[in-house]
Amino acid sequence: MKNIKYTAKIKRYNPEKKESYWQDFEVEVEDTLTVLELLMYIKDKIDSTLTFRSFCRSAICGSCAMLINGRSGLACKIQAKDKIRNGVVKIEPLQHLPVIKDLVVDIDPAIEKLKKVKPYLEPDPKKVPDNLKSESLVSPEEFAMYDKQTDCILCMACYGQCNALEGDAKYLGPLQLTKAFRFIMDSRDGMDVEERINLVENSGIYECVQCQMCLAACPKDIKPAEDILGLRRIAKDVGKDNSATRRAKFWFQTVYETGQIDKYNLPVASLEEDGEVIKENMEKEFKERGLKEENFGPQPFDGIQDLQNFIKKVQKEVK
Amino acid sequence: MKKIGIYPGCCFQGADEHNYEITIRFLENMGVDGILLERAACCGGGVIDESNKLVVYGLNARNIALAEKEGVDLYTPCNTCYMIIAKTKLALDSNPDLKEQVNKILADEGLEYKGEAKIYHTLNLLRDFIGMDNYKKALKREISGVKVAPYYGCHVLAPNEVAVDDPDNPTLLKEILEPLGVEVIDEYQNQNTCCGYHATYTDNAQKERLAIKPLDGAKEAGADIVATPCPLCHKAMDGKEEPILQVTQLINVACGMTPEETAINLNKTEVKLSI
Repeated sequence: MKNIKYTAKIKRYNPEKKESYWQDFEVEVEDTLTVLELLMYIKDKIDSTLTFRSFCRSAICGSCAMLINGRSGLACKIQAKDKIRNGVVKIEPLQHLPVIKDLVVDIDPAIEKLKKVKPYLEPDPKKVPDNLKSESLVSPEEFAMYDKQTDCILCMACYGQCNALEGDAKYLGPLQLTKAFRFIMDSRDGMDVEERINLVENSGIYECVQCQMCLAACPKDIKPAEDILGLRRIAKDVGKDNSATRRAKFWFQTVYETGQIDKYNLPVASLEEDGEVIKENMEKEFKERGLKEENFGPQPFDGIQDLQNFIKKVQKEVK
Repeated sequence: MKKIGIYPGCCFQGADEHNYEITIRFLENMGVDGILLERAACCGGGVIDESNKLVVYGLNARNIALAEKEGVDLYTPCNTCYMIIAKTKLALDSNPDLKEQVNKILADEGLEYKGEAKIYHTLNLLRDFIGMDNYKKALKREISGVKVAPYYGCHVLAPNEVAVDDPDNPTLLKEILEPLGVEVIDEYQNQNTCCGYHATYTDNAQKERLAIKPLDGAKEAGADIVATPCPLCHKAMDGKEEPILQVTQLINVACGMTPEETAINLNKTEVKLSI
């Protein structure tokens, strides 16, 4: 244990003046501090007005999520010394949520969105007994389908770094969609799967850009972006017909036929009329470039049957 | 001559074949022999998962096995192909049962996933395979008088376990751009905002809202061009006011090629380089 010197660069917000600004705090502290302990040190020794939210200090209550060097995480779980870059640790409030003061954000808008996915069990009477004497059994295999997702502590780290929200504030959010997936996979849930998919279809699963930032953000190693792919798969399986399910079918089909996705015909296959314009523009551009029509999309490679047999076998045999 | 297997994702085929040309020329300029993995298939693009996730593991085990059969590592300039193939490698290397099941089927084609081939993207290829000193030695002229804003794109920095550089403070792209003689605009608004490419075919408006943000940020900060390693980011963001190029195109120019020889003339937004 030794003392180290660095700068804590903190984005602050004064609600009275409605003003946000960066403030540098020069510190000389033990090298064992977490980012949360660093903030506590600054509040105790330098500036008592610095405001942040925290409670358990053990990465379980989910209060202290914030951006550290531009990446979401729990201040109590991250060592400050690991985050020093060029002598500076940069700390900001989460994005996409209203800032109340300094590093404290209002999580209510995200909780309101969470409510929309009905994040609770609607007990299936066939699985969940109506008396207290018998148990509602879940096998280890059944639980494995959503075990990881139950670790969510609603810290909002994923929400505070979501790119889909950057594009559309109405988007539900990663943790909300992981929760929706978790209840669909729960063997005790009695709500119709299609009904649960309907809850996430609008302003939901199809706006995700699969940037993977929620995987990087989650302090519990949950993978919301992958759960969103799972929701899209379920939407396709229950027969939803929309741009994403059409894209998924066309994508699989052309990869099967040629080994590669046909991006020339994909816009029309997925977006229908809206895709016609995209296709026309591509056609114009390709012709101007002197490309031949057979080169607009992919051509199957020699021995494509080997790939087709491989895909069929993987679908059938890999568990 | 060092050899590497080029993985041809969707953005290197059909009408996008010029991206393959850019890549093979880039490798030639770096003194690397690029071997096209001809029978490789789509990485899944995050979409085949919506049909069957195990097929994604299978396809990419096969893609890596094709490189291993040639005795080479696998290189793709596409951020998404890189991320998905690297994630598959992690899944296979940590799950012997999955690996065995896939290998049983790969044997039909005389292939085996051993887990020996490394997965490279342009950024870590330059640092770890080519070497920054060799890279700098290969450059023949400076592209001066142009301000360039580096744009990494998401899938080389997240998820953390496949990131090619420090996700908190990536510097690799800047280190690659500086020897080209350009002025690097290192910080700008929305530099880490996603290009939105993966919403192109489902919610094009969402893609358009996102794609413009880093470009506007770079323009605001005074950049003449944005440079990305990723052909998908390039595709999503080209055609707006601020021009965007692939970093390999700039490298090829600095190695003596004309803009036309490295497909810069195909950009929707015109790029002027003083060389």
